[in-house]
Amino acid sequence: MLGKSSTSASRVRRRNGVLAFVALLAYTAFALFPLFWIFLMSLKVQRDVIATPPKFFFTPTLANYAEVLSRPDFLTPFKNSVIVTFGALFLSALIALPAAYALARMEFRGKEDLAFAFLSLRFAPELIILLPLFVIYQSFGLYDTYIGLILIYQLITFPLMVWMMRSFLEDVPKELEEAVQIDGGTWFTSFRMIITRIALPGLAASCVLSFIYAWNHFVFALVLASQRTQVITGGLLQFISFEQIQWGSMAAGVMLAIVPEFIIAVFALRYMIRGLTAGTVKG
Amino acid sequence: MNQSRRLPYLLLLPGIVLLLAVLYPFLSGVYWSFTDFDLTLGQNPEFTGLSNYTEAFRPSGDGLHSVVITFAYAAMAVTAQLVLGFGVALLLTREGAHIKVFRALIVLPLLMPPVVATMMWRVMMTPDGVLNYMLSWVYLPPFDWLGTTSTALFSVVLIDTWIYTPFVILILLAGMQSIPTEVHEAARVDGASYVREVWNLVVPLLRPFFIIVIVFRGIDSLKMFDIIYTATRGGPIDATMNLHVQSYFTGIRALDIGSSMTYLVVLWVLCYTLAFFLLRVRRGRLA
Repeated sequence: MLGKSSTSASRVRRRNGVLAFVALLAYTAFALFPLFWIFLMSLKVQRDVIATPPKFFFTPTLANYAEVLSRPDFLTPFKNSVIVTFGALFLSALIALPAAYALARMEFRGKEDLAFAFLSLRFAPELIILLPLFVIYQSFGLYDTYIGLILIYQLITFPLMVWMMRSFLEDVPKELEEAVQIDGGTWFTSFRMIITRIALPGLAASCVLSFIYAWNHFVFALVLASQRTQVITGGLLQFISFEQIQWGSMAAGVMLAIVPEFIIAVFALRYMIRGLTAGTVKG
Repeated sequence: MNQSRRLPYLLLLPGIVLLLAVLYPFLSGVYWSFTDFDLTLGQNPEFTGLSNYTEAFRPSGDGLHSVVITFAYAAMAVTAQLVLGFGVALLLTREGAHIKVFRALIVLPLLMPPVVATMMWRVMMTPDGVLNYMLSWVYLPPFDWLGTTSTALFSVVLIDTWIYTPFVILILLAGMQSIPTEVHEAARVDGASYVREVWNLVVPLLRPFFIIVIVFRGIDSLKMFDIIYTATRGGPIDATMNLHVQSYFTGIRALDIGSSMTYLVVLWVLCYTLAFFLLRVRRGRLA
């Protein structure tokens, strides 16, 4: 009796396991299909791209990649994205690291209010700052410049970094400062010790995840940049704005723009949840 | 520790300078929403009180229409992602090596620029595109996903759902994994069915995680710009014209800064109402 009921229970469990697997497979197919389709498209000649019905089987070519990599309207935005993203990350790290340290490891009045004020930058609709800056930048000569873009990118990279770094710095046991003090060190001794050793992986992950946000951003450069400093998102969008749509080279451009991110993300996957919620959830 | 009381503020000073620097354009912008500032008419804005607001939000005005689209988009996107994300997260709590592979793969949409993701979908959603082709496999008629006023809003919500459901999955999964296994065992000893266990145990325990998801996804979909701008530019006609996209076309394209700032101030109030909710939750040490 007992044996019989346990085999039927295990059969039910196995059936549920199969159902769960099929459901997960279905969702994964939904999540990956667009990527797969654009990848196929990037390997097609124009004739195969516009074929109806759409083709799943064809003779692949790398011509689209070769073409995109020789086009200045792809390479210039790509280069601009690299300059602006790294510039913004560097400036943000400089401002965010001491701020995060104070918020994580010191007690003072107005701490939570200030922390929330930083985070609130991330919650504002971008254009409420961008539209006034669109007017102001023109009169300061910052419109369509790297410096102007790096400054406005702080709106996204700074709050993310400050909150993520704070959450990582909070993980370091409080006893560390006491030990350093007993040895006669100052706050700077512990600061240096924490950021260069103990919390270093977390701080690096904060930079990586902020990189993804900055690289993916679109509106800042749409409003405050023109041809000269346009970034990759805006640059790619112009590929499909033209009359003669070269879907193949657009697809190749898309693949080239996202592959570096996927590679980088592999290293930060563990910290993904903190990145997404600016450290409000520690996954 | 030999640290002066001023030290934390000193460390925060660069950050505070940044906040103050943002305040200047922000306050100018809010002021402009009460003026007739229009770059095509020259740069001497005159104070006009609430007239931008009454003009934009009169019955059947552009502002009111955009508020409706903004709410409809956010409500549909957040609901779809919560339901789908919760379901997939439950499936991912199972053991096994293949689960790790699934987890890594489903995150990919979240990592790419929303603009680029939307471009992919635009390619697939053309009348001759692969989506309609696949519909024909199951004998469904093709339709013009982004091309008609009745389908465009659903189509952009679908794109939003594709990109951001992994966000919901990751957060809820982290929550589910923080529930001690004893809780599940106790439920099973009591003879609770799986459905009852999920509904009566898992859902209440996940409350703080649901709040985080709703606040983050809520704000981001209220102020959605990238997906809608890339997919439809607010069209066809104004079927997907939410406040953020509306403010872009009014302010940057038509250079009517005053009216544009009016839309943005309203949108900002909506976003910050949700954000303050998050602050209160944090204060209550729920998260």
